[in-house]
Amino acid sequence: MFALCDCNNFYASAERLFDPALNGKPVVVLSNNDGCVIARSEEAKQCGIKMGDPEFLIRDILKKHHVNIFSSNYVLYGDISERVMKNLARWFPRLDVYSIDEAFGWLGGVQDLQTLIPKIRASVVMNTGIPVSIGVAPTKTLAKLANKIAKKSGGTMILDTPEAITKAVATFPVEDLWGVGRQYYKKLESLGIETVGQLRELPEMWFKQHMTIQGQRMWNELWGRAAIPFDNMPETTKCISVSRSFRNYIEDPTVLCEAVTLYASRAAEKLRRAGLRCLYLQVFLYTNEHREDHPQHYPSHTHKLAIASNNTHDIVKIANTVARALFMHGMKYRKAGVVATGLVHEQELQLHLFKPHDGGKLDLLSEAIDRVNLAYGRGTLRMASEGYVKSWRLKHEFLSKGYTTRWHEIIKAV
Amino acid sequence: MIRKYQQRAEQDVSGFKSPADDYLEGRLNIVDRLVIDPECTFYFQMDSNSMKTYGLRSGDLLIIDRSMKAVKGAIVVAYVNGAFHCRSYETENGRPFLKGDTDRIETTDGEVLQIWGVVTAICRNTLPSQLRKGDYERVCTL
Repeated sequence: MFALCDCNNFYASAERLFDPALNGKPVVVLSNNDGCVIARSEEAKQCGIKMGDPEFLIRDILKKHHVNIFSSNYVLYGDISERVMKNLARWFPRLDVYSIDEAFGWLGGVQDLQTLIPKIRASVVMNTGIPVSIGVAPTKTLAKLANKIAKKSGGTMILDTPEAITKAVATFPVEDLWGVGRQYYKKLESLGIETVGQLRELPEMWFKQHMTIQGQRMWNELWGRAAIPFDNMPETTKCISVSRSFRNYIEDPTVLCEAVTLYASRAAEKLRRAGLRCLYLQVFLYTNEHREDHPQHYPSHTHKLAIASNNTHDIVKIANTVARALFMHGMKYRKAGVVATGLVHEQELQLHLFKPHDGGKLDLLSEAIDRVNLAYGRGTLRMASEGYVKSWRLKHEFLSKGYTTRWHEIIKAV
Repeated sequence: MIRKYQQRAEQDVSGFKSPADDYLEGRLNIVDRLVIDPECTFYFQMDSNSMKTYGLRSGDLLIIDRSMKAVKGAIVVAYVNGAFHCRSYETENGRPFLKGDTDRIETTDGEVLQIWGVVTAICRNTLPSQLRKGDYERVCTL
C-alpha cells in the first residue's frame, strides 16, 4: 500500500502557523520578486484567485477581499517542510519526499489502516501545526487520487478494496488525475470521457496507442496493479542552476556583474553542498520578452573549465568574465542565471596536463567561508564584487520573519 | 530521540596516546535536557512580566513543544485576542482557561481555546550587563 501525504495549501498554512489571526481569512503567497500567485488559502481560492495570476493584474481583487499577501519565505517553508517530513518518517518504514509539501510513504503489510492513518494525520498536524491530507491505495496513481478526495473529506481516504476503488474512480474527474495533462484531457474530453471510472474501462491497447508507455502504466495503476515503483533513491543531479529576475532593469555591466557574482556564489555553494564539481559553466541573460518596444537580447554562453571546480573564486571569476562578454549596451536586462553542468564527484578530480593546479588552496578557502557563514548567517563572508547597494535584489515587500531560524526574529509572547 | 554526539578530537598528531582514550564519553550537552523532540520544538520569547509568580520574566526564552497535550498546571502558549499569550493552563468545571499573575483569560461560549504549544523549559541569561559582550552578548535571552 502506498500513502500520499500532502500538506494543504502548504505555504499559506506555514504563514498562518505563526500568525493565527490569518485563520479563516484569504491568504496568498507570491513567487520570487513578488510576481505571481504561487499559493492560496481556501478562502483566496473562493475569491476567484487562480494559481499563477500576476499580482499587478489582480490588485483590485486582492484589495476588495482584503487578501493577506506574502512574499515567498523559503527559509521558513524549508524548515517547516523538514519538520513535517521528519514527523512522517517516524510512521512509515520508507518515505520518499516527493516535493516540498508531498511525500509517498510505503506501508508494507500494515493491518488496520482505518485506525492508523487518522492517527498519523492527527499526530503530524499537532506536532507541526500544518494541516496534511493522507490518501492510501495500492498504487501511486490511486494514492494521489485518494489524497485529492481526502482533502475534501476529513483529511484521510483509504482505498484498500476493489469496491472502494471502483466507487472512488466512478465520480473522480479525469482532469484531476495524476499524469493527465492538458493535451490528454482535450483528447479524452473529445471522446466523452469525464471520469476516471470511464477512462479505466478503455482497453489497454488504447492507452498504449494514445498515451505511450506512461499510459499503459497508468492503466495498470488504475486497476490497482503497481507499475510505478517505490523509489527513494534520489536522482543523480545533472545540473545546478541559480537564476533570478531583477527588481528593475539592469543596463550597466558592472551592476550586472554584481548580480551574476551573487548567483555564481550561490551555485558554487550548492555544488559544494552536493559534493560535486562542475566542468561546464553556462551564463545567460534575458531582456523582457513581453515588452515589444524594447530591443531583445537573449545571449548565453557555456564555458569549459580546464579543471572541474566548485570553489567560489573560480566560479565567480568565470561567470563574471562571461557575463561581461555577453553584455550589450543599450539593452535592458531583466534576468540572469548561472548553470553548472558536467558535474563530477568532488573526490574524482581530473587534473590538466598543461594547467597548474593550486593544490586546492581556493577550495580550502571556500570551505572556510562556508563554515563562517554557517555559524554567523548566510552572506556574512561574501565576494566584494557582489556590491553593497544591490538595487537589483529581488522584491519581497511582504516577507514574513524567519521564526524558526533566526534568534532575533522569534515570536514574542505576552 | 537519538542525537549525534560531537566527536572528540583524537590525539594522534603527537603520537601520545591518552590513557583516557578508551573511556571517552560524549560531553554533557544542555540541549538534551531542554529539548525533548527537536522536530516539534519551537522557540518564543517572553515579552511581559505577567507570569512573574510562575518564575517567568520578560526576556526569558521559552522552549515550546507542540507534541505535548496541555494538562492542568502546564505553562502554555496560546493565541487569544490577537496575540500569543504565555500563561498557566487551568480548568474549572471541565472548561479550560488561562491564568497569569493577575489576569484570567477565557474564551467566549462556543469558542475553543487553541493551545499553540506547551512550554517545557525556560532559559535566562544571568550575566550582568557589563559582562554581556562579544560572544556572551546574545546568550540565552538574546
